Amino acid sequence: MSTQLPVKSALDDIGTLYQERAKRARELSKQGKGVVGYLCCFVPVEFLTALDLVPYRIQGSVREPITMADSYLETIMCPYVRSCFDLALKGDYEFLSGLVVPHSCDTIQRIYDIWRVYREPKYHHFINVPHMMDPSSYEFFRKELELFGRSLEKFTGQKLTEQRLHHAIRLHNQNRALLRGLYELRKQDPPLVSGTEVTKMLIAGMGLPVEEFNDLITKVIREVKERRGGPTKKPARVLLFGSEVDDVAFVQLVEASGANVVMDDLCTGSRSFWEDVDATADPWGALATRYLRGIHCPRTCVPQGKDRHDDLEARFGYLKPYIHDFNVNGVIIYIIRFCDTYELDAPDVREYLQDQNIRSLYIEDDYSMTTIGQLRTRVQAFLEMIA
Amino acid sequence: MQEKAQQQGAQQQPAQQKTTAAKSTETVRKVRGMVKAMYQGAVEAKAKGQPVAYCMVGSQYDEIVRTMGVFPIWTENYAGLCAAKRDAERFIMKAESEGYSNVICGYVRTGIGFDAMRREIGDTPPTSPDGGMVMPDLLLGSSFACDPRFKWYQALGHYMNVPSFSFDVVTPPVTTDLSEVTEYYVKYQHEQLKGLVSFLEGQTKKKLDTDRLWQAVKLGDETWRMWYEVDRLRRAIPGPMPSEDHYNAMVPGYYYCGTPEALAFYQELRDEVKARAENKVGVIPEEKYRLLFGGGLPPWHTMWMFNYFESLGAVFVIENAYRQYDPVEVPAHVKDPVEYIAWRSFLRMTQRYDKAKQRSGNPTVERLLEFINDYKIDGVVFHATRSCRATTIGQIHWKNLLQQYVDIPATQLISDIVDVRDYSEAQWKAQINAFVEAVDAHKSKKR
Repeated sequence: MSTQLPVKSALDDIGTLYQERAKRARELSKQGKGVVGYLCCFVPVEFLTALDLVPYRIQGSVREPITMADSYLETIMCPYVRSCFDLALKGDYEFLSGLVVPHSCDTIQRIYDIWRVYREPKYHHFINVPHMMDPSSYEFFRKELELFGRSLEKFTGQKLTEQRLHHAIRLHNQNRALLRGLYELRKQDPPLVSGTEVTKMLIAGMGLPVEEFNDLITKVIREVKERRGGPTKKPARVLLFGSEVDDVAFVQLVEASGANVVMDDLCTGSRSFWEDVDATADPWGALATRYLRGIHCPRTCVPQGKDRHDDLEARFGYLKPYIHDFNVNGVIIYIIRFCDTYELDAPDVREYLQDQNIRSLYIEDDYSMTTIGQLRTRVQAFLEMIA
Repeated sequence: MQEKAQQQGAQQQPAQQKTTAAKSTETVRKVRGMVKAMYQGAVEAKAKGQPVAYCMVGSQYDEIVRTMGVFPIWTENYAGLCAAKRDAERFIMKAESEGYSNVICGYVRTGIGFDAMRREIGDTPPTSPDGGMVMPDLLLGSSFACDPRFKWYQALGHYMNVPSFSFDVVTPPVTTDLSEVTEYYVKYQHEQLKGLVSFLEGQTKKKLDTDRLWQAVKLGDETWRMWYEVDRLRRAIPGPMPSEDHYNAMVPGYYYCGTPEALAFYQELRDEVKARAENKVGVIPEEKYRLLFGGGLPPWHTMWMFNYFESLGAVFVIENAYRQYDPVEVPAHVKDPVEYIAWRSFLRMTQRYDKAKQRSGNPTVERLLEFINDYKIDGVVFHATRSCRATTIGQIHWKNLLQQYVDIPATQLISDIVDVRDYSEAQWKAQINAFVEAVDAHKSKKR
């Protein structure tokens, strides 16, 4: 499939797209294509793709001080969400023709009512994602997805057929497989691709139609495999754990401090694509299952295990293959302040990692460039300890 | 261990300064005894072999828990109690030393700190308010209102090996066409409650007695209807019962719901408030300004601040926190009490949705506008609580929306529900003085 991206090296393209992350979406919007913004990785983007809409993952900016949002939002809430809304108020998201918000956490839930009032998107929808995971939760979530589908049909005037959904599922599964393929290149020592490059790639891709993103990843993988002068071997191999990291600043800091960032468990990273949707099953049920069970976010309540060990295993056991397969020797838990679910999980994650003999560093940050530099000493000390 | 326990008790003596508010109604003075009885009752229940459960306020399961013979301990209430006694800090500091962020819900930090301390010393932390919370046999979380309600009990797995069950309490967005979602929302709520019943049956080895549950539900409904009546009487001028009384009067409604004591309490309170209203007995000799506590949870650490407002002639005559819902009409075809609770929950959560769609688009704002009109409000005060996302996010938005419909002064005080480190008395007093002056100027302008 052809793309309209400039022909340089694919990694250069990534750099450009990362810097101007909304550029392509704006172009498409000008061409009359519907671009729908969404928050968090709980929105099944397959629905948007199936109806020929471009899903656009809304991001904030650690580099832009929050100014306008203060007139609408309290300061005691997630600064990432405040930043997203601040950018919207400043006109950065005028190209969006719609907004989809999932009930992922208290803050995201509440921003829906505020955003739709002050930005008045042409289309807006809220998906109520259950917190629990029992059979009735899947049934409920499936109903919510059917409602979402119907609202999109009304918005686009098109029919959301099973065939279209299947096609979209295939495209997004392909995307997931490609990204996992890219992550495979991080298993080597030194990794063939740096954490900074991967972060840029993921952020850039959040504003592209899935077909274009797939082309780009394919090219990047080829290029990375062929290039000389990739990342150098560092004393530490780090997994970054947390929520939204939509800027390379912190990853660069870690990599400049003596580590290869070889894996992540982030909402903007592997958490959003590691699990496929079952392409053989009824698409509605398959999407409900994947988006409820396949995203390991602390906002979802994993039923209690039979004992403490079992409980931690049920909640964090998915980290074990990450640590083993990517040969991780340290985890940085990077939490954005006021994120209740992560903050409440943090001691348990640390306990689990300790049980796996993996050291961890807990950082609670303000989603701002002004604090990034202050973290350098803590990161350096941690890396020296694990190296 | 004994030495450590002595240290933990001794180094954190509760402050001697009085922080609670003076009450206006006689009936409300009984609440303190009811609170003590909750914690003492849990000790006695445990001694008799009755299962005791940590519970979350407002989870809609009160009658089920009681009918199953489980004795509830309301952990958020305990944190509020510690704050009111100015004895939460040692628990909060303990939770933070265990790795919990200092911006996590103050209730949660107090509760986790308490249980962390208990595990460390092998006994109830010394001098704990009202004797402390007894070690629970069960943990019953829910997703009602906020995420920490199930995350808290999940975190307690580090401190106790106790069976835990959490379930969803779902609310649709106000933008939804209710005719499209009611059926599957109620069905899901019903299934979630059935899951709870099944868990409790497994733990208690007893079947749910649906006749007894019906009795408890009817009692619960009647209790809340009576409470609603009390609050309608509070429209009188001068206000017969202030918000500081409400924050005590909520105890039977939320923590004794489904019991005869709760109903008896509100009957007595109704009679007292009615008499005060009829005889024009106000909270202060001269009520100059009528205020609405617009939202956010109360500052449990400094409740006498309500009396400070009164010293300036301002009385909080109604409030939008820890409120009961207006009575709802569950469809008559519902014959199963668990399904009834599911319906009741859905109808409570979606109150004012239709009204909101016709005007402000926001059910909370609709309720505030009703209060402003019905209670003849002169000013609105919000309390932004640093550690509570659920009741704080949206306050500025509500304030902005209110201004589109009414011309009324509003302000936002900032501190926390529990953590007194987030509170500045001097700053509050300065802000309150300025606000009451603004209310006065605004009222004079209107005259």
